[in-house]
Amino acid sequence: MQKILVVDDEHEICDFVQAFFKERGFHVFTALNGDEAISIAKKEKPELVLLDIKMKGMDGLAVLKHIRELDKFIKIIMVTALEDQDKMHEAYKLGAIDYITKPLILDYLEETVGRNLKVAL
Amino acid sequence: MDQQGGILPLGNPNLFNTQMTKNGLIQKQDYQTFLEAASRTMIRFKKPEHLIKMIVKTIDEQLKIIHTAVLLYKEEKKSYILIDSKGTVGLKIPVGFVRLNVDNPLIRIFSEKSSFFISETGILNYDDIIVGLRNRNILELQPDLYDNLLSVKKQMDLLKAVLCVPCYFKRDLLGILVLGEKVNGENFSREEMGFFVTLANDAAMAIANAQLIENLQQRVEEIKELYIREHRIFIHTAIALAAAIDARDPYTHGHTERVTNYCLAIAKELDGVPEVSSYKNFRETLQISALLHDVGKIGIPDYILSKNGRLSPEEFEEIKKHSLIGATILHPIKELSDVAREIRHHQECFDGSGYPDGLAGNDIPLIARIIAVADAFDAMITTRPYRKKKSVEEAIRELKSKSGTQFDPIIVSAFLLAYEKGNILNNQKQP
Repeated sequence: MQKILVVDDEHEICDFVQAFFKERGFHVFTALNGDEAISIAKKEKPELVLLDIKMKGMDGLAVLKHIRELDKFIKIIMVTALEDQDKMHEAYKLGAIDYITKPLILDYLEETVGRNLKVAL
Repeated sequence: MDQQGGILPLGNPNLFNTQMTKNGLIQKQDYQTFLEAASRTMIRFKKPEHLIKMIVKTIDEQLKIIHTAVLLYKEEKKSYILIDSKGTVGLKIPVGFVRLNVDNPLIRIFSEKSSFFISETGILNYDDIIVGLRNRNILELQPDLYDNLLSVKKQMDLLKAVLCVPCYFKRDLLGILVLGEKVNGENFSREEMGFFVTLANDAAMAIANAQLIENLQQRVEEIKELYIREHRIFIHTAIALAAAIDARDPYTHGHTERVTNYCLAIAKELDGVPEVSSYKNFRETLQISALLHDVGKIGIPDYILSKNGRLSPEEFEEIKKHSLIGATILHPIKELSDVAREIRHHQECFDGSGYPDGLAGNDIPLIARIIAVADAFDAMITTRPYRKKKSVEEAIRELKSKSGTQFDPIIVSAFLLAYEKGNILNNQKQP
């Protein structure tokens, strides 16, 4: 079973995205902050991480850097607000493979994750 | 469902406290009570969002469904947006997660109203889509329909929808009520579906009303703004015209502005005088009349206006024409017919000895009588080519002495009151 890690400081979003991908046959972990995300990434080695770029405390770019240092093969998709899209330049440099804008739209969410894991959802 | 029949009990004011039976279903009679109360309550919601939240909350409380959501059309986004959602952990869809544009298969199935997969109640049922997809005839003979059903199924999967209930107003699809599975896995009963349809219809009506009111309020605001703007332009045009008149006559510099201010100060003391209420808009008519009272001087030759010395009787006759000329200039402007009348008579005397018509007493319109006092006072305290200026005290003595002959005594008293309060010479450019 493929593993996905969802990192977002909003509880509601973590819970929903977890249920959404669980139903689609993934093992889904959630993290509400950067430290939690890094320790789960280290322990569980997920195939894919959905990472919110803007979080309280350690922000998405810092988490991205840490996770990439841990494991170069984890696919990281950034979740960004429309107005923060310019941060993606930096994120790509740090090794992110794709991004999806907030508010998340279910169709795109499903499609983006499916495309990057090369699975049909 | 028998929505209309039977005698309905009086509206239940405790809309949210309808009792549920042990098995978690509300009984038929309760639906009716509930619906009646709900439709009454809906009318009170000014914002559609509040209404939607109420509906979602009610369904969530009344029926054990794993999740409920409402999509509402937003004109500015040209899409159907998730407004509210409730459900068990992980199934409550965060607001903003769903945005369906008008071409979305799920929206088209309702807006085109052509699909035979929508039941006669108007509800789209997930089970019907599945039945359609299993139908070999459709797969083989109607591949387009099959693809369409597949994409509708996918949208319903995304929303975890078992039922989609449309909200129509006239022919417009305003929104969709999305219902997930029942917690106990049972199918929805006919009664429950009827309940959703009625709720959706009432909600559509309330949403449409709220939108109409919102649009109307917006229009009213726009019209108000337009009116204020036009009115400002109008007043400023009058002020500009008055300044142009003053500029022609070197002896009356600032005269119009001062007279207007005296008039407004006098008017303050006339509150409650019955004649005031005979004007549609007294203060404004007064202000414009005062600003334009000398507009007729435009028709008086320069050599007379700026003559340095006493005027001959012929020249004085010429000057006297200005009130008539002023009224004539304004005559074509229908909206200023009141103003034209006041300007015509601002040189009348209370005893009938004035011009142009020799009116007396209350036959002279009120505003004209006010302007007469203000105009005379300013003339007296200003240097004119044919005489030296008087002191304010002298001018006031003269107003008093001519009260009842040249001037209306009521207006003179009002002027004196205003003067004593310091409202005549206060905050004004001194002549």
